[in-house]
Amino acid sequence: MTTAAFDGTLTRDWMHRFADSVYATEAELTALDQRVGDGDFGNNLTAGVRAAQRLLDAHGEGSGPSATLGFMATAFLDEIGGTSGPLFGLLFQALSRAASGDGLTAAGLAEGAEQGLAAIRRVGDASPGDKTLVDALTPAAAALRASEGTPPGRALARAADAAWQGVHDTAGLSARMGRASYLGERVTGIPDPGAVGVALFFASAAGPVNALAPYLPDAG
Amino acid sequence: MARYFENSADDLVPDALTGFARAHADLVEFDASDGYVTARHTAPARRVGLLSGGGSGHEPMHAGYVGAGMLDAACPGRVFASPHNRQIYRASLAAARPGGVLHIVKNYTGDRINFGIAAERLADQGITCSRVLVDDDLASDSEEIAAGRRGTGGTVLVEKILGGAADAGLGIEELTELGTAMVGRCRTLAAASAAHHAPGTGEPAFSLPVGELEYGVGIHGERADRTRPQGDVRALVEDMTGALLAELRPGADEPVVALVNGLGSVTLLELYGIFGEMGRVLDARRVRLARHLVGDYVTALDMRGFSLTLLVADPAVLAFYDAPVHTAALRW
Repeated sequence: MTTAAFDGTLTRDWMHRFADSVYATEAELTALDQRVGDGDFGNNLTAGVRAAQRLLDAHGEGSGPSATLGFMATAFLDEIGGTSGPLFGLLFQALSRAASGDGLTAAGLAEGAEQGLAAIRRVGDASPGDKTLVDALTPAAAALRASEGTPPGRALARAADAAWQGVHDTAGLSARMGRASYLGERVTGIPDPGAVGVALFFASAAGPVNALAPYLPDAG
Repeated sequence: MARYFENSADDLVPDALTGFARAHADLVEFDASDGYVTARHTAPARRVGLLSGGGSGHEPMHAGYVGAGMLDAACPGRVFASPHNRQIYRASLAAARPGGVLHIVKNYTGDRINFGIAAERLADQGITCSRVLVDDDLASDSEEIAAGRRGTGGTVLVEKILGGAADAGLGIEELTELGTAMVGRCRTLAAASAAHHAPGTGEPAFSLPVGELEYGVGIHGERADRTRPQGDVRALVEDMTGALLAELRPGADEPVVALVNGLGSVTLLELYGIFGEMGRVLDARRVRLARHLVGDYVTALDMRGFSLTLLVADPAVLAFYDAPVHTAALRW
C-alpha cells in the first residue's frame, strides 16, 4: 500500500477484515480467556464487530476514515457489556479523533494509538507489565510513531509485529488486574486475550487472520 | 428462604424505577431506554451538574437523592452491578451544565471503570467532567486490599453537601476539592446479624449462627473479615463509634454529622436505640454532634444490619448540609 493516508473505503475495508479475523478466531479467543479470565472475551469482541458492521452497513457508505472509526467506537462503547470491549471503543474513539484532520496517516495512527492508550490506562489503571491489552498497545503505538512519514499500510504492519511481540511478552507475566489477578502463577505461560485482540486489529490492516495458533507461544 | 415480591429477578430494577418515576413524578423523570433518572427542578445558580450511580439494591440510593438541592441525575445498574458506561454517558449529557458534570462514584472496580469510560467519552465531546471518589468504609482499610476502601453510607452525606455547594454556585474544581476533602473526613462501619436474600432464589448470601454477627460488612452481602458474638447493642455501638473516632479524631470545636443507617431489614425501633447509644458515646467523648440522620438511606437489599457514619464538618460544610433539599428520600 503506497497511499499516504487511508480514505474511508480503505479504513472500512480494514474494519471488515478485523471483523473477519474476530469471527475466524473467536473459538481460540474464548479458549484463551477461559484459562485466564471469565471466558467472555471472544464473545464480547464478536458482539462488538457485529454491531460495528451493522452501523457501517447502514451508514458507512461514503463516510470518511474518522466517521468510520467513530462507528466502531459507538458500537464497542454502547453495545458491549463487560469492560474490555468498551476499552477497545476508547481506542477507536481516539483513532477517530486523530483521523479528523488530514485523514488516517501514519502520524494520525500514532497519535490515535497514543491517545487511546492513555485513555485506557487512565480508566483501567493498568501499566505495562500488568498482563493486559496495554502490553500490546504500548509497543504498537511506539511502532506507529517510529513509522511517521511512511505509508499507513507499512506503519500498521510494523505495529502488528510489535503488538504480536507484546502478546508473546504477556505470556511470561502474571496478572495484576482483572479476573486473572486472582489466579497468580497459574496464568503464567498463557498470553492475555485483550492483547491478542489489539494485535488482531493491527494485523487485519494487511489481511484477515484466520487462526491464532501460528502467532502464539506454545502454552502447553 | 425469603422470596421477593417480584415478577422476576430481572424485572425487579426496571419495575421499581417505573413505579418510582410515577410516585415522584413531580420531582424526577425516568428515561427508560437509556436507564437514568433526572431531576425536574434544580437551582438556577447551579453551574455544575451532579451525577451519581451504581448497582441497584441500595434503595433509596441513588434515584431517591435526585432532585432540587442534591443530584441532577442518577444511573442505576442491575442489582449490585455497575451501570453500563452508555447509561453513565447519556445521563451525564442530560445532567451537564455550562460548568460541566461531576461524577460522585463509590469505590468499586466496575464503577470506577465504567464511570471512567464515560468520562473519556465526555472529554472527547469537549464536556468538562470530574470525579469525587467515595471510599469511606473503615472495615476495608487495609494494605492487603489493593482495590482500597469501599464506598458506603458516607456517600449520602457527601452527595447532600455537594448539592448544597453546587447550588451556591461553586465551580467543578472547587466541588471536586470539597468532595474529596469531605470523603477524607468521613468514615463508616457496618455490622450485620443476617445476610441479604438473593432476588430470584430467595436464598441468603451466607448463613450465620444465632447470636453471632459479622463485624465490618459492606453493602453487597460480602462477609466481613471478622465474626463476633452479638452481645448487647451498647457494647457494639461503643466499639463501632470508638473505631470511627479513633480514625477521624475530630477536634473539640469541630461539628460532626452522624448517620445511623439501616441496611434493609433492621427496624426503626432498633435504629433509634442505636442512635441513642451512639449519642451517649459521642457525649462522653465530648464530640460535638451537630447534625444527624436516622433511617434507611443506603441499604443492601434486605440485609439485617446497620452502619454508622461520622463526617467531620466545619461551619461552611454545615451550611451546605443545611441548604434546602427536595428529593424522594431527603427533604428539608
